Amino acid sequence: MGQKRFEKQQKQWEQEVEKATSRFPERKDAFTTSSDIPVDRLYLPEDPDEHYVENLGFPGQYPYTRGIQPTMYRSRFWTMRQYAGFGSAKETNKRFRYLLEQGQTGLSVAFDLPTQIGYDSDDPMAEGEVGKVGVAIDSLKDMEDLFDAIPLDKVSTSMTINAPASVLLAMYIAVGEKQGVSKEKLTGTIQNDILKEYIARGTYIFPPKPSMRLITNIFEYCQQHVPKFNTISISGYHIREAGSTAVQEVAFTLANGMAYVDAALESGLKVDQFAPRLAFFFNAHNNFFEEIAKFRAARRIWAKMMKEHYGAENPKSWKLRFHTQTGGSTLTAQQPDNNIVRVTLQALAAVLGGTQSLHTNSRDEALALPTEESARIALRTQQIIAHESGVADTVDPLGGSYYIEELTDQIEKEVEAYIEKIKELGGAVQAIEEGYMQREIHQSAYEAQKRIESKEDIVVGMNEFQIDEELNAELLRVDEKLEHDQKKNVQNVRNTRDESKVNDTLSRLRNAAKDEKENLMPHILDAVKAYATVGEICNVLRDEFGEYTGM
Amino acid sequence: MDRNIRVLIAKPGLDGHDRGALVIAQALRDHGMEVIYTGLRQSPGQIARAAIQEDVDVIGLSSLSGAHRTLFPKVIAALKEQNAEDIPVIGGGVIPYEDIPYLEEQGIKKVFTPGTPTDTIARFIQELVDPDAKKVTEPPKKIAHIGIAVQKLDDVMSFYHDILGLKLKGIEEVPSEGVKVAFFEIGETSIELLEPMNDDSPIQKFIEKRGEGIHHIALEVQDIEERLKQYKNQDVPLIHETPKAGAYNSRIAFLHPKAANGVLYELCEHKGE
Repeated sequence: MGQKRFEKQQKQWEQEVEKATSRFPERKDAFTTSSDIPVDRLYLPEDPDEHYVENLGFPGQYPYTRGIQPTMYRSRFWTMRQYAGFGSAKETNKRFRYLLEQGQTGLSVAFDLPTQIGYDSDDPMAEGEVGKVGVAIDSLKDMEDLFDAIPLDKVSTSMTINAPASVLLAMYIAVGEKQGVSKEKLTGTIQNDILKEYIARGTYIFPPKPSMRLITNIFEYCQQHVPKFNTISISGYHIREAGSTAVQEVAFTLANGMAYVDAALESGLKVDQFAPRLAFFFNAHNNFFEEIAKFRAARRIWAKMMKEHYGAENPKSWKLRFHTQTGGSTLTAQQPDNNIVRVTLQALAAVLGGTQSLHTNSRDEALALPTEESARIALRTQQIIAHESGVADTVDPLGGSYYIEELTDQIEKEVEAYIEKIKELGGAVQAIEEGYMQREIHQSAYEAQKRIESKEDIVVGMNEFQIDEELNAELLRVDEKLEHDQKKNVQNVRNTRDESKVNDTLSRLRNAAKDEKENLMPHILDAVKAYATVGEICNVLRDEFGEYTGM
Repeated sequence: MDRNIRVLIAKPGLDGHDRGALVIAQALRDHGMEVIYTGLRQSPGQIARAAIQEDVDVIGLSSLSGAHRTLFPKVIAALKEQNAEDIPVIGGGVIPYEDIPYLEEQGIKKVFTPGTPTDTIARFIQELVDPDAKKVTEPPKKIAHIGIAVQKLDDVMSFYHDILGLKLKGIEEVPSEGVKVAFFEIGETSIELLEPMNDDSPIQKFIEKRGEGIHHIALEVQDIEERLKQYKNQDVPLIHETPKAGAYNSRIAFLHPKAANGVLYELCEHKGE
């Protein structure tokens, strides 16, 4: 029985390989080790049992434990996507062009906190924060500068933006139009994951209900007009950074994912209309094998959920595609060069876990934003893994390891128990409002801290193997003058635009916001094109939706 | 202090990273402090007002967004405006070392960088709020021994050794005190029998005045020198203001019996413990 199904799976996989390689040939005609030993595309058990057929199968096949593509990195490496952005749009534009020249294959925009929370740079709440953790975007004018001379039909752009995701997406669409690139051709991702903002990251604006509406509005709008854009990146990254365990990271992320699916279904969308555009974002921490198993387990759980629970029929809806970033909270301020080694191990875990794209952190991020040199080493780390280590030459090289498979099964079991618990609480939104996830994460964070302080956990260079060190590494500083300049810029935009058009579009947005049935995206797009600012648009929505004030 | 230390942990600005703030709040609570956490997105004015309303002894600021150079000094300024500049402010987060002198110049008492154990922060706060508490942060750990004055060791040794069955640790002469002592181990402490070696011995005087019996209680302590200075500052009557050599490679000093209404206490610090 097992054997028969296995042969059927294998045949199907071979056909898919055939199809995939005819479109994207593999990187080499033949892969070999240094000793000329041939490296196969995939290694399989000699005696596949029912458990194997049911839970592992073949890459590119349900439940995708061994990867979502039939040939994985034999055809194409993961996308090397370094998150960047600081200061002004013009300055960030220069860094983007530098990164593209260095061989980076996608852009990833970091916005400053005022932009992420919907304040203009001259808002009193923005004081001291302008351009600090990312680029300051106030109006379409800044977005035009940000992508100056970067053709939007040639790059895919990931934007870490959540509460005002609709506004920044609208700006991206508008820049595309000005470049002559139609909406249908735009590729990229908006993070747009508000639930983890309440849980862990903190850049929320509105209460959960209207926030969920904005998200489903985006799903619907993009499904019709921007079909190649990933409309959400459901993120475990920040949950992990806030101190969760690997199991909690997957459990809470997938629980949030279910909440978005439920909301979209409730708004009248069909699961296969939006599910193929859902993307995920995970962390890669230090516990090497656990991290690898975590990625494999997450794929399997999501696939089963989408197929069995939600009844999705399109295989694209079953596939959990994810971006990975190495773990910022694992970096130490002490002996920062050690962080290069940590990042290498974490990046390797992500690759062995089958990530679709990867950001590697820079060694100096426990101290400040990365310098250009540190950012280059981080990118080189990925390139070394890709081009020198050979780990990308066969699909899922650790599949079948007793340890990895047992860990994968165990993580799956524990994640399912958490998801069950969250269901009992009434779903992710309810659990968040009750502070359940927050408490669980905080408990894990505190226990981790105690283990470090009692030296039960050793952090090299921090609580053991310390040295007396000179602590004056060269760090990147954001010029304090920038805030002043950016304030002038936004005031300048306000003085030169057609004010009546701005008022008109904003009042139409306000009316649309009052009507729950109305999709807000077209109205936001109109306002953006009239050079209404992020702050102005968000303030209209604040008036209508109210603000979330935390627990 | 007759009440617990009260701490306000605050997140100025728009930064949403509060793992560190929450972990420190919890750790300080575990150190017996009362901690108020403001939640995210507090303006300097809100933080100052909260500190005053909550009558806190210290404010801890956390920032990981790079806005510390602007926001931390603003908190100090807001406290000044509201006549509360006596509330000390400490800070932490992702703060480059080169910014620390600037922040301290602006009135931040101390900046803790990533990797600082929470114990260190708790101790710093205790000392900041109550400088007198500095040296007695550690109370005496245990009773080192109970001293009993006897006229002749040979007359009583058999009671302790044969009847009670205690283990004799040793007999030693301490010429500086004019005594010969015998130590019997009992649990984690001991009984010390003291025999006067000559007529000038304080033990001889004690026996003449009050007869044989319990003479003193010795407390095991750390930092005996600092502690004696501290007690002196607190007007505790002392027999010895500086430590002297005791039995078994220890340093000892006696407090005056007036210090404890007639009970004679000895402080005792063993090296290598």
